[in-house]
Amino acid sequence: MISLLLILISSLFFVGIIVKVKAKIAARKMPPVLQPVYDVIRLFKKGAVYSQTTSVIFKIAPLVYFSSVFLAVLFIPIGSNEGLLSFEGDFVFFAYLLGIGKFMTIISAMDTGSGFEGMGANREALYSMLAEPAFFIIAGSMALFTDNISFHDLFLHLKQDADLYYIIGIASTYVLVYIAMVENSRMPIDDPKTHLELTMVHEVMILDNSGFDLGLIHIATWLKFSIYGALISNFIISNSWNLYWQIAVFLGIQFAFSTIVGILESFRARNKIEKNPQWIIMLSAISIVVFLTVLIITQKIILN
Amino acid sequence: MTYLFIILYTITLIYFALSERVKKFVWLLSIQGFILFGIAFFSLHKIKIFDFIFILAETILVKSLIVPWFLNKVRKHNHLKRVQETSVPVSYSLIIVVMILLFSFLFNNFLNSNYIHTKYFTVSFASILFGIYFIIIHKNIFSHVVGYLIIENGTFLLSLAVGSVMPMMVNLAILLDILMGVLVLGVFINRIGDAFESTKIDKLSKLKD
Repeated sequence: MISLLLILISSLFFVGIIVKVKAKIAARKMPPVLQPVYDVIRLFKKGAVYSQTTSVIFKIAPLVYFSSVFLAVLFIPIGSNEGLLSFEGDFVFFAYLLGIGKFMTIISAMDTGSGFEGMGANREALYSMLAEPAFFIIAGSMALFTDNISFHDLFLHLKQDADLYYIIGIASTYVLVYIAMVENSRMPIDDPKTHLELTMVHEVMILDNSGFDLGLIHIATWLKFSIYGALISNFIISNSWNLYWQIAVFLGIQFAFSTIVGILESFRARNKIEKNPQWIIMLSAISIVVFLTVLIITQKIILN
Repeated sequence: MTYLFIILYTITLIYFALSERVKKFVWLLSIQGFILFGIAFFSLHKIKIFDFIFILAETILVKSLIVPWFLNKVRKHNHLKRVQETSVPVSYSLIIVVMILLFSFLFNNFLNSNYIHTKYFTVSFASILFGIYFIIIHKNIFSHVVGYLIIENGTFLLSLAVGSVMPMMVNLAILLDILMGVLVLGVFINRIGDAFESTKIDKLSKLKD
């Protein structure tokens, strides 16, 4: 229960902090940290406008997207605090819950019949497909490392004092930060501030959504960022720490993560569209290195 | 600690496969030099102090400073394009470098020899294979020199693998080989660049007496 609450609370501030950091770096006047929340409240007060060419899929897609992401939040543990739901092999279920949400947004984008949205859907499907092996190799390596296959046990039995653990921790954090960027269509992959439909990935898919539906999609994005932040924090938080210390470190890591995203978005140029796939495959290659390190630690590969 | 540098070395190989910019190649070579310094520093403490200092100086001065500085000079002299095209798409190269890494790690696990330090042998094997692959896929002589240097770094690790003693004579020979190789190839590239205004290898077929 604590982990759910923490993720929900941190998700409220996440995008606000990113926007604040970007404004600070560009020397603009900073909006309040809760500005994205006010925007969503404003959107909730509005009604939605639906195009005549859309079908029921377009109407239910934002709800399914939001609920799948919310359900995925229930599986995330933080330190020694268990997630609300947990069973063996739940990280596979978690990945495909996010997959269902993504699938619904993709088919709802195609449902509008717009050429631009179809193009965005095409790109988004490709990028998430390429990022999936990286996530599974990391999760599989952790499962091998701890001999457990549920999120909670996996992070509970993480032997943080093991030799070479720091390599696994740093490389996994690097890969997870960039998977979060791919999943949320952020900077090196896609620029959320771009104004040209031809170069958009995620933003072009939700061009037709308005009012309540758009609000739900925004909230799902915050939650997704917060989920990945929580996963990263699990690599650092030790279970032997007391509860308050764990909560403080979790919030600190979420803050650091959102600041890093803000800094990355301010200083990094976006990849060329055709360079994106190879860049995402690189994440899988790095996670293979994590896998090899785990094999060395667990002495499945013996080197002298 | 040695394992950290070995893993870092494998990551540099992945970045070699990913990057297409000449400047990045030079940077990565310099980083590899520092990593080799780390590996030598943490694994060669049984040898004589003079040899030890010589090897450390060689890795830090020659491999990570002088050679990249010289390559940078060659790059500027020939006005090389920022991006070097490869004959194989980068995604394939990434998959191949991962295959090479997996193969070399599993092969060394299978080898399990008492005569070789397999932890160095894995990366040296991967580095030599990747260096050859790097030379094959690039069309520019400059990138061929970079590939040659990746192989040389692999050879350095190989000499660690066969017995952590590093005899002075072998060491001097390797050092001389690298320096002469890079200098001669650098001059060669400059001459070709001056004559043909390009360093692509397909121009070389026109070379005649």
